[in-house]
Amino acid sequence: MRHYDCKNYINLDCEKGMCALSKAIVFIDEEQQDPCAKFVLAEKCGVCKNFQSMDTQGIGQCIGFEKENWTYASCGASTCKGYMS
Amino acid sequence: MKENDVKLQEILKARGIDMGLVKNAAEIEIPEAKDSTKKLMDIYYNLKVTADMEAAYWYDRVWWENDGDVIEVRRAKAVAASLAHMTPTILPYEKLVMNKTKNVRGAFPFPWVCASFFNAQAEALLQEVAAPAENEADSVSVVGDGGGNVTKSYGNVISLAKKFGMRREEIPILVKTAQKWKGISVEELSDKYSKMTPGYKQFKGIMDSVICMFDSFAIPQGREVINYYLPLQYGFDGILAMCDEKIAELMGNAEDDGDFGMSRGYYYAAMKEITKGLSAWCENYAQRAKYLESVEEDQQLKSNYKKIAEVMGNIAHNKPQNFWEAIQLTLCCHLGVVNEDPQSGLSIGRLGQVLQPFYEKDKEDGIMTDEEVIEILELYRIKITCIECFASAGVSGGVLSGNTFNNLSLGGQNYDGATAVTPLEYLIIEAGMRNKTPQPTLSILYDEKTPEDFLLKAASCTKLGLGYPAWMNNQTGMNFMLRNYGPEGMDLHDARAWCLGGCLESAPGCFLPLDYNGKMTMVPGGASPTCGTGVHFIALPKVLELVLTNGFDKRLETQVYPPHNQAIQTYEELIGLWKKYMELTTDVVNRCNNIQMDIWRKQNMPVVNSLLKPDCFKKGKHIGTMGARYNASINFESCGTITLVNALASIKKNVFDDKVFTLDEMVDGIVHNFGFKTAYETGVFSPDFRESTENSSTYEKIFAACVNAPKYGNADPYSDQIFKEYHYYMYDMTHRFTSYYGKPLYLCQISVSTHGPQGFVTLASADGRLAGTTYSDGSVSAAAGTDKNGIYAIFESANAYDHSMHQNAQLNLKLHPSAVRGVYGTRKLLEVVRAYMRKGGFHVQFNVVDSKTLRDAQENPASYRDLMVRVAGFTQYWCEIGKPIQDEVIYRTEYEKA
Repeated sequence: MRHYDCKNYINLDCEKGMCALSKAIVFIDEEQQDPCAKFVLAEKCGVCKNFQSMDTQGIGQCIGFEKENWTYASCGASTCKGYMS
Repeated sequence: MKENDVKLQEILKARGIDMGLVKNAAEIEIPEAKDSTKKLMDIYYNLKVTADMEAAYWYDRVWWENDGDVIEVRRAKAVAASLAHMTPTILPYEKLVMNKTKNVRGAFPFPWVCASFFNAQAEALLQEVAAPAENEADSVSVVGDGGGNVTKSYGNVISLAKKFGMRREEIPILVKTAQKWKGISVEELSDKYSKMTPGYKQFKGIMDSVICMFDSFAIPQGREVINYYLPLQYGFDGILAMCDEKIAELMGNAEDDGDFGMSRGYYYAAMKEITKGLSAWCENYAQRAKYLESVEEDQQLKSNYKKIAEVMGNIAHNKPQNFWEAIQLTLCCHLGVVNEDPQSGLSIGRLGQVLQPFYEKDKEDGIMTDEEVIEILELYRIKITCIECFASAGVSGGVLSGNTFNNLSLGGQNYDGATAVTPLEYLIIEAGMRNKTPQPTLSILYDEKTPEDFLLKAASCTKLGLGYPAWMNNQTGMNFMLRNYGPEGMDLHDARAWCLGGCLESAPGCFLPLDYNGKMTMVPGGASPTCGTGVHFIALPKVLELVLTNGFDKRLETQVYPPHNQAIQTYEELIGLWKKYMELTTDVVNRCNNIQMDIWRKQNMPVVNSLLKPDCFKKGKHIGTMGARYNASINFESCGTITLVNALASIKKNVFDDKVFTLDEMVDGIVHNFGFKTAYETGVFSPDFRESTENSSTYEKIFAACVNAPKYGNADPYSDQIFKEYHYYMYDMTHRFTSYYGKPLYLCQISVSTHGPQGFVTLASADGRLAGTTYSDGSVSAAAGTDKNGIYAIFESANAYDHSMHQNAQLNLKLHPSAVRGVYGTRKLLEVVRAYMRKGGFHVQFNVVDSKTLRDAQENPASYRDLMVRVAGFTQYWCEIGKPIQDEVIYRTEYEKA
């Protein structure tokens, strides 16, 4: 479980973000020591039901739209109309 | 203590006044920045410049999914998708929201514009090995390694272009996206057709030798002024309704225009797509703010998120109802434009005049106090400072020094010819004094009608050593506008609407009627495409070097120009050969850049900017098809003017007039760097640092003669005449070439940061400058340390020609803080500015800083994270500037008297 995968994570840059709840700076590659009770899974392609066949580089198929296409697991999907949790 | 101070102290003491108190009272007390600003700046100082793939992925996906559609509609759909799918980021304490990307100092690559960089390095990137430089300009460009720049890879962060950090897991996405554009990006397609020009080989030689160091496709937009009128007047829903009306009227109807008439329908279809994208982008922020409100426990922050949701929800559809919504809408449009191309120099324009009606109504209605408006304006500065441009190392470091030149102009004249200064503009300066950030840099359009208290406020801001505001001559700017855009029908009203695009690119504008608060206000805004692509940047001293070496570049061991094989007997012959090489350079570079920009406008036309820029929406034409009101905006940019002038003066004096040395002896001295080590050997780029070799004594006399030759900036007619003749030649020469819009070029004179890398590739010059050291900065600044007769002598030299002939002229001055101390110092500073403006000088800007401080900052960058300096038309954090430019700024002549 990473802060980076939480809906309460606020993007800052390529190495860190901020927790919207605690306002603490958290690092992307930092695993949470203890599972956070307030963790909410962020919408990303990698956790979308319309994401399939992921390869070793995190690239898979998006079947959430009329035209099927490739996408990647870490792509944000909070604004995507095809996202299915 | 100085003699005058002692006298003053005695007089005051005799009258019972304590000098200490007087001194303290003399300086204006500047309130601290607001708490929200301080918290967000604390975050900013620790941010890494970051590139990610969300926007690029969605652009690429939607582009290919719409293969076969009419190209402007396809392009609009792709840009709209990139905006509408980015993860919205809102920080606690923010009041204005939206970023270029999900990261705060974020940017993203544009492989459809330039793919070769990624494709050539794909393997290197995937294997996480150091990627090779893209080209020669990249290899000689130095990016500052402090601040937020990611100059090296670490952990799961990969460094791109020596500046951007990208997550390791996104590198395969970048490579996969870029590969599809191989051979069809703007860069590669334009290169394919450039090869058909007869001068292509010559063009490549010129680029490889870094005589020219910029391809227009690298930053095809910017160095222009945005126009916020349409959304402020109609709102996005209003624009969508107008698009529908126009589509109904024009789709399938050519009227009497068999050539272009049918295209108008497609234009409005494209504008509808991009407007929907902008609206969705705002709506996404409204939704994110609602979510954050729902999880926030702090009541103040909760209420703040609620307000953001309300503002973003409203501007997603409606025209703004208050100042907060209006400035947020302008920010949305600004970020929308800078996200549709690699871009720098998209200037904000005269924002304080555009938003004055909204500010005025809020004040009348008691909706916001001035302090609340100042807070918004402080936060606005952070937003603009966070705008990054993803480009190669040569562009981001060598040209831009990491800045994106979002210039905000103040003052000038309004539609009726009265002063245009508004009450809101005082607050904009105030916010710039309280929250000291590089962007937006501020520019004062100095006019004799400008209120004195406004000028004094601006001068008190300049004094703070922030590098802003810079000072531009409004009358000279208007004269240039009428001269350059008169043939396209510019009248006096539109001439009054001009301001700065980019750092110093005078850009045309127009006034449009904003209907708000029950009255109509004529608001200014930009009315042209970029005023900054074309033949850019030409190293004038390097061209002279190649005249002296018969066209052979001794650094690269390459024949760049055709050998002239002439034994030069006179100064006139020398100048004749320099002109010949200049014209050859301009011809081949111009043709290739015309192709670059033509491919760009056909394949990658602006869509957000083509919505906003008058008269695109009125004509049904995008910017690429000359929808803008004025199109004679493409130019020729020079670098190293004063180094060239001083070198010519030395050769003329020492070789041809006084005959102290032969030209061969002079060339021998230059080639052997006058017996000193080169800057690339010593690593010091400052002209004052010299390390001898065993040959030093051989060149002692000739070096001394070169150093002591007449120098520009001392009101010396000898060098000033050469300077004047240069300008009249350049005016004539540039106008003989035409842009892809079929309009004449003209001269732009900003070095930005190119005087670093272009100096780096140039041998010693006859003025005594050593090989590899940075050229003189700006275009009318004296070469560092050569101006011996004071500021007013520079003013005399600088105005040896009419500044309204060209787009700009740049004078950078460095003042010791003691020179402008106290309220009298503020007045003195303003008088210096006024003296220069009254002589006709176009622009002057100041670094008010002690050189000792800069030296200490160079040695201890961590202690100076927030130190800013003025480079050449822009302010930048000291620690984010490359060393060659740092050295040059340190060595600039420091005036202790204003």
